[in-house]
Amino acid sequence: MAKDMTLLWGSGSPPCWRVMIALEEKNLQGYNSKMLSFEKGEHKSKEVTAINPRAQLPAFKHGDVVLNESYGACIYLEEQFKSQGNKLAPDNKAESALMYQRMFEGLTLFQKIAQSLFYTRFVPENERHDSAQKRNTEELKAEVKLWEGYLQKTGPYLAGKSFTLADVIVFPVIAFLFRFGLNEEHFPKLAAYYNTVKDRPSIKNSWPPTWKDTPGQNALKDF
Amino acid sequence: MAKDMTLLWGSGSPPCWRVIIVLEEKNLQGYNSKLLSFEKMEHKSQQVLDINPRGQLPSFKDGDKIINESIGACLYLENQYKSQGTKLIPDSPAEQALMYQRMMEGNTLMQKIATVLYYHMLVPEGERHDSAVKRNRENLTTELQLWEKYLENVAAGSYLAGAFSLADVVVYPNFAYAFQYGLSAERYPKIAKYLNLLKDRPSIKTTWPQKWFQHEQRAEMLKGI
Repeated sequence: MAKDMTLLWGSGSPPCWRVMIALEEKNLQGYNSKMLSFEKGEHKSKEVTAINPRAQLPAFKHGDVVLNESYGACIYLEEQFKSQGNKLAPDNKAESALMYQRMFEGLTLFQKIAQSLFYTRFVPENERHDSAQKRNTEELKAEVKLWEGYLQKTGPYLAGKSFTLADVIVFPVIAFLFRFGLNEEHFPKLAAYYNTVKDRPSIKNSWPPTWKDTPGQNALKDF
Repeated sequence: MAKDMTLLWGSGSPPCWRVIIVLEEKNLQGYNSKLLSFEKMEHKSQQVLDINPRGQLPSFKDGDKIINESIGACLYLENQYKSQGTKLIPDSPAEQALMYQRMMEGNTLMQKIATVLYYHMLVPEGERHDSAVKRNRENLTTELQLWEKYLENVAAGSYLAGAFSLADVVVYPNFAYAFQYGLSAERYPKIAKYLNLLKDRPSIKTTWPQKWFQHEQRAEMLKGI
């Protein structure tokens, strides 16, 4: 049950946030929840590495069972708690296929965000090039346009009529784009998706605490 | 049914091989199989773009349902065909969790392999640095050492998450690929043992790549890792 579960997480991190959304959706509130700070390097602490030798968040335990890979944790929670909370894996074959497709494309979207927005975090100073930064920015822009296109063809959720694991997994990534200043007028379908889904209880209840009272950034405002 | 399925794939590509292995494991032979050449840039051809706007392989259709993401396709096929072929997702919570954990870590493993092998393809000449090459190789070494530990008790029937599962479907091709590029069996004996234990599994043996994707990588690129 929820009280046998522990989640170590960082505020705003999409991989962490998606597990929190899944826990809410499956009515598993009451888990041991510990917020840690990336800035203070707490993800590298013994408390984390005891669960996750990769020193990454999220770190998740259910009794003795450890599942630090956020996609794995989300799928596991849906499988193990099928009969409670909201159904996150549709029976309909077409929705199911689209759900899996978008779920895993979400990895690509997040990678392009990281490559572009966190360029200086991942690339040592002597290896940085304006040409690389420019290319990463163009790639992210193309990727975001792709998702805008997806939501022009399908809706209101990523796999169609129902909220699914695709939304659990990818909404935090899309929210990240808006946190970094993505222009709602330039991406109306993404904005509509974001504004509809953000009011879902599981998402409101797990909204990153550090986002609540602080303004976002505007790195993406020119997209 | 299998005849409603189409797979466009390239030889030796781990993501493609995963889907091919699952189709075999689920007794879905008889799908429309189209081998394309990365070297001839056929992954950017119209027939691929019609299914996969990203111009990547694998591209997979089940009727009108498209799943090009290889792990997504594997999960879809296991879930749609649960009652036939091999059971690829364990029921017990502990094994299931370990299976999902290793399966997704397999994605990280492939990325670190790709970062080393495809460096010259992905990074324009003016942006390349020895320091980056060194760091990428060190990251891959650390990653492989982690997997060497994960496999410390590997034996027949005891693979990445116990019985053969989707974790093995996703990860096995990554290791086979790495060994093609010179990964040392002496340095990674457990991984080598794992590869050897499963190489005669029918779904793997019958689909073993005839040739391995080789664009600019050289066969010994992972020798010193």
